[in-house]
Amino acid sequence: MSKTIMIVDDSASLRQVVSMTLKGAGYEVIEACDGRDALAKLKGQRVHLVISDVNMPNLDGIGFVQELKKDPSYKFTPVIMLTTEAQEARKQEGQAAGARAWVVKPFQPQQMLGAVAKLVM
Amino acid sequence: MNTDMARALDTFLEESRELLEQMEHILLAAESGCLVPDLHALFRCAHTIKGSAGLFGLEGVVRFTHGVESVLDRLRNGEIAFDPALSALLLECRDHIGALVRADCGGNAVPAAVGDGLTRRLQAWLSPAAPAAPLRPTAGEPVAASGGGLLGGADHWHLSLRFGLDVLRHGMDPLSFIHYLGQCGEIVHLETLHEGLPGWRDYDPESCYLGFEIDFKSEASKEEIEEIFDFVRGDATVRILPPHSRVVEAAVVDAALDKQKRGEERKALEARSLKVPSERLDQLIDRVGELVIAGAATQILAEASRQPALKESAANLLRLVEDIRDTTLKLRMVPIGEVFSRFPRVVRDVARELGKDIELKIGGADTELDKSMVEKIADPLTHMVRNAIDHGIEPEAVRLAAGKPGRGTLRLDAYHDSGGIVIEVADDGGGLDCGRILQKARERGLVGPDQHLSRPEIFRLILAPGFSTAERVTNLSGRGVGMDVVKSSVDALRGTLDIESEAGRGTVMRICLPLTLAIIDGFQVALGNNIYIVPLDMVVECIELPPDPGAEYLNLRDEILPLVRLRSLFEIEGPAPARQNVVVVRLGRRKAGLVVDRLLGEFQTVIKPLSKIFDRLQGVGGSTILGSGQVALIVDVPALLGLAARRAEAGEPAG
Repeated sequence: MSKTIMIVDDSASLRQVVSMTLKGAGYEVIEACDGRDALAKLKGQRVHLVISDVNMPNLDGIGFVQELKKDPSYKFTPVIMLTTEAQEARKQEGQAAGARAWVVKPFQPQQMLGAVAKLVM
Repeated sequence: MNTDMARALDTFLEESRELLEQMEHILLAAESGCLVPDLHALFRCAHTIKGSAGLFGLEGVVRFTHGVESVLDRLRNGEIAFDPALSALLLECRDHIGALVRADCGGNAVPAAVGDGLTRRLQAWLSPAAPAAPLRPTAGEPVAASGGGLLGGADHWHLSLRFGLDVLRHGMDPLSFIHYLGQCGEIVHLETLHEGLPGWRDYDPESCYLGFEIDFKSEASKEEIEEIFDFVRGDATVRILPPHSRVVEAAVVDAALDKQKRGEERKALEARSLKVPSERLDQLIDRVGELVIAGAATQILAEASRQPALKESAANLLRLVEDIRDTTLKLRMVPIGEVFSRFPRVVRDVARELGKDIELKIGGADTELDKSMVEKIADPLTHMVRNAIDHGIEPEAVRLAAGKPGRGTLRLDAYHDSGGIVIEVADDGGGLDCGRILQKARERGLVGPDQHLSRPEIFRLILAPGFSTAERVTNLSGRGVGMDVVKSSVDALRGTLDIESEAGRGTVMRICLPLTLAIIDGFQVALGNNIYIVPLDMVVECIELPPDPGAEYLNLRDEILPLVRLRSLFEIEGPAPARQNVVVVRLGRRKAGLVVDRLLGEFQTVIKPLSKIFDRLQGVGGSTILGSGQVALIVDVPALLGLAARRAEAGEPAG
């Protein structure tokens, strides 16, 4: 059974490329444009991994992960946060929210695949 | 690059353009001091561009934007203050990012010196405090420790993993890491340590109590193996012992992070909208056009059938078709604000270059018009705005001497009027100098020495090709290239251009455009056996022509209405009927009466453009097919109004 991954980012082009890469590697992909959109789309869906940007309108990545982790169905869902070196301070907030995996932007599609493979069997 | 990637790159181009516009908007708003700049949004723009550009391997964009982002980061954290010099620099950087993006997507190359210069200037805002953060901070401190379990010494790596209690709760599954490790090499031996497991009373199923000792055979370097466990550094102790070695290093937890206050303000910038390629919309509109014609034909047949039920259902159908037509046309409507939004920057740059202080007032940015027109009107408008700043608005000293405020005002306005849209560019400058224009025109032989011209006629001279009264040629305007181009662009859109000016008070240039280029409600009239269509939006009223053959004017409730006799204009053969009718049309402030034989009533029409062969045909704007299959010509009202006005001013008979 293929694994489902959700990608949350406000950049449509980034979503497009990540989604393309993941689909190419055989994953199912759900896209969301911000935290609020992601929570709405998650309802009842089984996902094996969430990839989320930090800086987003409406509901940012930190807030989103906090909400996600409150839901028992997603308590153990791994989350990869997308960040930049300029956001070191936010990393701590992310860790407090329950995110442990970070991928630094800008990244190459192959890097993303590597990160995903570590978290999803 | 495969097609998917090319499509994604298109998305990126569009996206970066929007983000750069947003940056510009924020910076300009900040410069004019009218609001507290949204520094977080500003940062996010640069941040998103950099992130996405990296994904496409646009290294140049990433490198340059990184510097800009670092400055913006300090700015939003309050480490440096926002001031005009910084704002100007950021605007330049924003332009450069745009140029880099375009260059990488097939545009013209950008000289490296520009970027280097900007980067150097940016550096000033990054010192004296810490320089820009390195691209990937890593901390690693070798710590000698005792290896647990089996020790190295063999020709493979030895890994000691001790997972923290919370690792599962953090979404990290130890098994997936070991699985991934297995993909990077060969796991020779694995031993699970469960000494940490508590008794059943204290056992928490959500906690992880396990440790692993792994013998691992791989060509990977130590860094590469460490990287595999990057994500669990905070939740696990990982010791990696190289082959043939007795020294163990511990992977070190992330470097200490400094606290920083959080204050992200989110603005819902993304309207929930759908992007559709415009060709698809065009196709849809074309089809709807055909539908309209087919509907009209059906209704004619239904009327002729004298079956009430058929008539009713045909009428229903036609109403639905009309609804679809209106909805479809609305799909193409965009606010003119899209064009207006570029002008704060244009005005700022031009005013700076000329050393003038100019305030731009924008009104009616919500006014909607057809997308294709928005694209075509942008350049003429830019030219008019530049002209107004350069020639219209006087230098500050002159203004003060004339008792006006030193700061000039330029007004851009848009509003709907009689089925069209009116766009005004108004300045409070010195106004057009009739004397000088006339003198120049005489010098250039455009006007004969004893020819007398009315004021509107004199103003229209500036629309002649190559005409300029400017004494010196500036970078921006004054070469006389332009107003004639503006005029022809407006003509091409079936619009009119009017100029009003008052010495010492300023000039208003007014463009009137029809709302759409595709489908109109038409008013059918007959001339002999031919049917012509007048756009209904421009029809004011219809009256019977008083029996006064040869009259060129009509007294319409004490208003002089110039008449255009379509019979003679279109050279219709055969005698005119005893009774003729006048269709009163209006566009903007111009009015005229079109003399026709018979009035036939309203009809929905799809405008089919005329082929190039008919370019020189005067007074006809397009053609359409009637429900009966007959071809009808669509009257070009703006052109006829222009004709009437010119003849009226010249005192010649119209039509």
